[in-house]
Amino acid sequence: MKKRIFACFTAMAMAATLLTGCGGGNNGGGAASGSGASGSGASGGDGSMNMTLIMSLRDEFLSSLESGCKDAASKAGVTLATQDAQNDTGKLLQFIESARNAGDKAVIINLVDAETAQQCIEAAGDMKVVFVNRVPADTSVLNENAAAVVSDETKSGGYQGEWLAKHFKEQNKTDVKYIMLQGTLGLVHTEQRSASVIEQMKEGGLNPVEAAAPLVADYDRATAMDMISPLIGTTDFDCIIANNDAMALGAVEALKAKNVDPKTVPVVGIDATVDGLEAVKNGELAMTVFQDPVGQGFGAVMAAANMCNGKALNEGTDYEIDTENPYIVWVPFEPVYPENVDEYANK
Amino acid sequence: MQKTFDKKKFISQNSIWLVLIALVIIMSGAQPNFFSVSNLTTLLTGEAVKGIMAFGVMFAILSKGIDLTIGASAALVACITASLVQPADYANARFPGMGEKPVILVILVGLLIGAAIGAIYGAIIAYTKIPPFIATLGAQLICRAGAKIFTNRPISNLSEGFRFFGSGRLGGFPVIILVFIIMYIISAFLLTQTRFGKNVYAIGGNDQAARVAGINVEVNLIKVYVWCSLCAAIAGMLLAGRSGSADSANSGLNYELDAIAAATVGGTSHTGGICRVSGVLAGILILGVINNGLVMLKVDDNMTNIVKGLIIVGSVILDMRKNAKRA
Repeated sequence: MKKRIFACFTAMAMAATLLTGCGGGNNGGGAASGSGASGSGASGGDGSMNMTLIMSLRDEFLSSLESGCKDAASKAGVTLATQDAQNDTGKLLQFIESARNAGDKAVIINLVDAETAQQCIEAAGDMKVVFVNRVPADTSVLNENAAAVVSDETKSGGYQGEWLAKHFKEQNKTDVKYIMLQGTLGLVHTEQRSASVIEQMKEGGLNPVEAAAPLVADYDRATAMDMISPLIGTTDFDCIIANNDAMALGAVEALKAKNVDPKTVPVVGIDATVDGLEAVKNGELAMTVFQDPVGQGFGAVMAAANMCNGKALNEGTDYEIDTENPYIVWVPFEPVYPENVDEYANK
Repeated sequence: MQKTFDKKKFISQNSIWLVLIALVIIMSGAQPNFFSVSNLTTLLTGEAVKGIMAFGVMFAILSKGIDLTIGASAALVACITASLVQPADYANARFPGMGEKPVILVILVGLLIGAAIGAIYGAIIAYTKIPPFIATLGAQLICRAGAKIFTNRPISNLSEGFRFFGSGRLGGFPVIILVFIIMYIISAFLLTQTRFGKNVYAIGGNDQAARVAGINVEVNLIKVYVWCSLCAAIAGMLLAGRSGSADSANSGLNYELDAIAAATVGGTSHTGGICRVSGVLAGILILGVINNGLVMLKVDDNMTNIVKGLIIVGSVILDMRKNAKRA
């Protein structure tokens, strides 16, 4: 038995070395071209720059973000590599160090854990750092070499709350029982989305009441469906609030499976995914909130290139710099209703 | 052999069902809506996918192995089959303009992929003798990555015919529960009525002895993982049909652990050779009752997981004591 466990660990260790070996290989390639580029950079000034985008865990949203990064990279003459940290801060830090060793000029980081921004900046050494999509928990760590291109997550939940307040005010209802489908706990945006929607409902004059304990469905459609199903028909509720569209759509499926018309219960999501927009269009989702992944990616690479070239962070983009912290660029959220859903179909 | 009713033996052999009944009584007392036809249907519908995986993985555990691949292979099969049943006029389809293929054909493709995946890592386990934990861990990473390469966004807008098995109803009865029952019967038949089932017991009990007794251990091990992977493929297609979408990053994520937990709570011994299908069914239902009941009682998610953890560990302690006495 002991032997077996030992064998397991050895093999796991081997697998791990294999994987990091692969990553190293990629970066080795980057290093070779990196030294070439820095040579031309020194003489040519605005020559090709190497950067690495490190994402927390590849999904649909971050793939769109990557495509925005690539748009900006080709515009700004940046050679961009992408790494996936698989939701592991340890891996993320390793990728940052590898990029530094490879001579990259900047790293674009999609944080796994918002509390680790300081460690990321330290690991980056002389490289410029741009945090994209997820805001560092403590924004005071940002400086002239470390910026953030993000969307304000309290706004996303805020738009949900605003809509719900308006909706229930029109029905002269103030005590509103809600079911909340939460994303993965421990992520800052899960907490901000959850808190801000309730806050905004209160601000809008409602008295939001929990119809059930928050359901933690980890941003997954099928999990959300399974978790909410037992409550439908047995618990009294007025609306369903989901931290993202996938879970909102899981709730819609659960309602349909119980022969409840989803149009009779407002379900609100965030993200404006392709499926989410479709559902807003046919009335199954009351609304969603568009977060601009392509814009965030584009803004992040532009900001990194601008930092390297000593220009203003938001040059070449439409985005605004925060009024208090000069190192934050805001990419706005936009609420999506049936009335304006067509504008987002091709974004 | 005594024919008279032995109360002690009956209780010890069916303790898991007694636990289930006790849980159901407690839940029904605390929440009157719990023991309603509609909620029990919900419970079974919710557990069917993981339950079918448990029917697969119990064979692997019985053979003294494990299968960590099933969640990822379910996702891979779900994504591939889902991409074959999107309408031709759907602009965001994985293969725009291709149109829906016949459901029977798609299901066959799904089963074939499942069987092939299982055959590959089954053969690796059988012939290289590496621990199944490692082989299936590797296969899990590869399958999950394969699914993500295949698509980076959820595949949805699936045809009614494909969704029928996951979300349809036959005479008011959810089809997914029928599939679950059929899979239970097939598993029970495989395990107790076929030479294959007896061979797996023998291999799990003592593979050297099984070999001496003339059992082809390698071929039977491959069959175990093919079956496991077939169950995962079926579960994956049901999952996509039920939720209406196959998501390469999230579908089936960590489902293998729930399936293993259900099989374990159901009395399948990780030292091999001990397993009862009825026990595994009870294990699935126990975890289902906890998942479903605690949501209805408005219990916090973290608390639910603590209860689940305690039940998993506690049930194994009880089982090991029981099995030690028997030996």
